Amino acid sequence: MTSTIEPTTAQEACPGNACGNPPQGRATSAARGALDRPSELQRTVDVSGLVDSEGGLLDRAIFTDRLLYSQELRRVFAPSWLFLAHTDQFHKPGDFFTTYMGEDPVIVTMDKNRRIKAYLNSCRHRGARVCRADFGQTRNFTCTYHGWSYDLEGRLVSVPNESGYPDSFRREDWGLVEVPHVESYHGLIFGTWNPEPVSLRESLGDMAWYLDAMLDHDPEGTVVVGGVHKWVLDGNWKLAAEQFATDWYHVNMSHASALMVLSPTGKGSKDEIVHRTGRQYVDPNGHGAGFPVHPKNRFDADTVHHWMDYDALRERLGDARVEGPVTTGHATVFPNFSYLPVNGSIRIWHPKGPDEMEVWAWTIVDKSMPGEVREAQRLYNLRTFGPTGIFEQDDGENWSECQAIAHGFITNGVALNYQMGMGSEREDGIHPGTTSELYSDAAGRSFYARWRTLMNTPAWHEETQ
Amino acid sequence: MTIDTGNGVGIRVANLNDIPEGEGISVPKYVTGTDDDIALLRDEDGSVWALDDTCTHETASLADGWVEEGHVECPLHSSKFCLKTGEVQGLPATKNACPHRVEVRDGEIWLFPNQAP
Repeated sequence: MTSTIEPTTAQEACPGNACGNPPQGRATSAARGALDRPSELQRTVDVSGLVDSEGGLLDRAIFTDRLLYSQELRRVFAPSWLFLAHTDQFHKPGDFFTTYMGEDPVIVTMDKNRRIKAYLNSCRHRGARVCRADFGQTRNFTCTYHGWSYDLEGRLVSVPNESGYPDSFRREDWGLVEVPHVESYHGLIFGTWNPEPVSLRESLGDMAWYLDAMLDHDPEGTVVVGGVHKWVLDGNWKLAAEQFATDWYHVNMSHASALMVLSPTGKGSKDEIVHRTGRQYVDPNGHGAGFPVHPKNRFDADTVHHWMDYDALRERLGDARVEGPVTTGHATVFPNFSYLPVNGSIRIWHPKGPDEMEVWAWTIVDKSMPGEVREAQRLYNLRTFGPTGIFEQDDGENWSECQAIAHGFITNGVALNYQMGMGSEREDGIHPGTTSELYSDAAGRSFYARWRTLMNTPAWHEETQ
Repeated sequence: MTIDTGNGVGIRVANLNDIPEGEGISVPKYVTGTDDDIALLRDEDGSVWALDDTCTHETASLADGWVEEGHVECPLHSSKFCLKTGEVQGLPATKNACPHRVEVRDGEIWLFPNQAP
């Protein structure tokens, strides 16, 4: 049976005065009584001078500054659609998965009506997480500190020594804080704290065409194989998100050893492989995708390649996608969800302070794949882009290298160059939206332009004059 | 349906197939005639047991709990009770749960409220 994603569920799950859209100046509808946070706690910086997307220059402070980082959590992460999980992780009521939205811990679960819900994973009493497991099956979320217990709909259902509270205490006012909007796109579940967001589909725009090259091979869709790999990297989360949006440029240099190992001769790829041509999709919302274009683009794992019916893919997705983004490409959905169609890797770059990120990576495959094909893809993924994968290791090394020195006073003030492909952006009549060359920083410039816009735009939770 | 075995009245309350191993169902007190609903709890070895449904710690249904290895664990605060005797086996509960006798006959579950197992 399939799950249901309700576009708006917070109001119906939570009747009474405490619900509905949060009042201005508040991030959620949770009651705050006489509390009134002084604005000095949330200093805001105008970042116009840190991102020159027209000139292709970046100030490294955006990777290192703690004040900017906290502003990112408020203005980039809180209002954006953030990837939560895959629908295949939820089959029965009570199936849950715990993750983060920015640095906010959330529980994603299927409620008794088989709707996918997401809640802030923090007890309303003293604030501990009410679910400490990575994933599993439960009937309630009980805080291990004092025992406040919440049901699958987020309602507070049990308070030990409840008679000790004043008459004004009402359990219905103290349910888990619900993520107000949870939606899915072809199996990918996203949520946002924004009480009035544009729809997930609208925020994807033309990016959906490129996403479908990975998610929509046939009507059965995708499933998750294996667990979620998690590892910690030194480096600002944007280094990874940006690279997956815009950077084919590093491939032949950074991954030279891996490419040599994989080449039939052991001496490296042929000239036509090294000097590939292709396109890079540049989305106004900061998404990006790059891919070589070739009539014989193929899946790298032999078992997958031989099983895949490329003619059927051409019929379903069209020639442009099969010769482009269906296989060897890279992509980011702004801000921090990325994927690699060739091996089924989907991943999120969780921010952990300006200098650290956690990579959480799933492997997804077509549900229609037989067991041995799924296994071949899983192993190929693991060997290339798993936590110890021969490509993944190269990327992590680059990001931690860039971050390790970026705090130096002189270093931090030296601008970075994002000028490749300037002026190349155009509509090519084949690929939707604006595209650039395969080797280009265009999607990176757009990524940081979007970041700059959000960083300079007050979010719903900020007081406006 | 009720029967009198000469040892009190039994009530046919469910079929064995109604309760997956490791789970439970709650029989309402208007059926059982008892003060509390009664939880029918099926252990992972297939055996069926009955205890008062409400946890002795806080208001929670033991029928919603986790049944394994001779005990039921409350779904809210993880108190544990022996399936056979109702004896409390783990905090935060401190009072025993009341057990009731159960018989399985030809795939039917018969409950004997207020009889010792």
